[in-house]
Amino acid sequence: MKEITAVIRRYKLPETKKALEELGYPSLTIQSVEGRGKQKGALCAEMDSEMPESFCTAVKLKPTPSAYALEHTLPKIALYVPKRLLTIIAPDDAVGGIVESIIKVNRTGRHGDGKVFVSPIEGALRVRTGEKDKEAVS
Amino acid sequence: MKMIRAFIRPEKEQEVVLALEGAGFPSLTKMPVFGRGRQKGLQVGPVHYDELPKTLIMTVVDDEDADKVVGIIHDKAKTGFIGDGKIFVSPVEAAYTVRTGEAKL
Repeated sequence: MKEITAVIRRYKLPETKKALEELGYPSLTIQSVEGRGKQKGALCAEMDSEMPESFCTAVKLKPTPSAYALEHTLPKIALYVPKRLLTIIAPDDAVGGIVESIIKVNRTGRHGDGKVFVSPIEGALRVRTGEKDKEAVS
Repeated sequence: MKMIRAFIRPEKEQEVVLALEGAGFPSLTKMPVFGRGRQKGLQVGPVHYDELPKTLIMTVVDDEDADKVVGIIHDKAKTGFIGDGKIFVSPVEAAYTVRTGEAKL
C-alpha cells in the first residue's frame, strides 16, 4: 500500500475527485491547508492564477498580496496560498495511474500547481468489519 | 526524500518559518490542529484543557537535508516547557511537481 499526498489548487478539487472516481479510487481525505513553495508565497500573479478562468478580470485583479495579508491579518513577511491537501491510500499497482491522473487534471503550467508525494503505508484496518491491510483499502 | 511533520506552538510558527527560509527551505504546508500529549492536556487551576491548539508544519526535503531541517525546527520551537511539540520524519518514495510533471521536488 502507498499513501499519495497531493497539494492542489482549491478550484481543481471537483475535477480531481471526478477523475479519481472514474479511475475507480473514490476514497480520499481532504484537508484545507495553507502553504507555499519555492516562490516563497503568493505573488500578485499567483493570486490571480488561483481563480478559475471564468472569473472576470476585475475580480481577478483585486487581491494583491498586501490586501490579502491585511484581510487575513497575516504578517506581510510570510504569505501563504490556500490549498487543498488530498490523502489517498491505494494499493501498489494503482499508484502510477492515480498520480498520472492527478497531474493531468491539475496541470495548468503556472507556478502553484502543487506537489504529489508517494510514501509507504505499513498497515490498514477497516473499523466497521475489522478487515486488514489489502482488503481494508480496496 | 523525507517528509517532516512538526507539531509546534502556534506562536513559534513564524520564527520557525523564517529560520527555514533563511536556511534555503521556503516550501512548506501548514495547518492548524488540536491535540494533546503525554500530560493529557493542560490543568490550569480547576480548568482542564483536553485539546490544545498546535500548528502542523509539513515539508518534504531530500534525505541529506532532513537532519538539518529537524535541527532548525528544534532550535527555534524549543522553549523548554511542556507542550513544545513533536517532530516526525517519514519516508517519501517519490515526489512530483504538478506544473512540470517531473518526478522531482
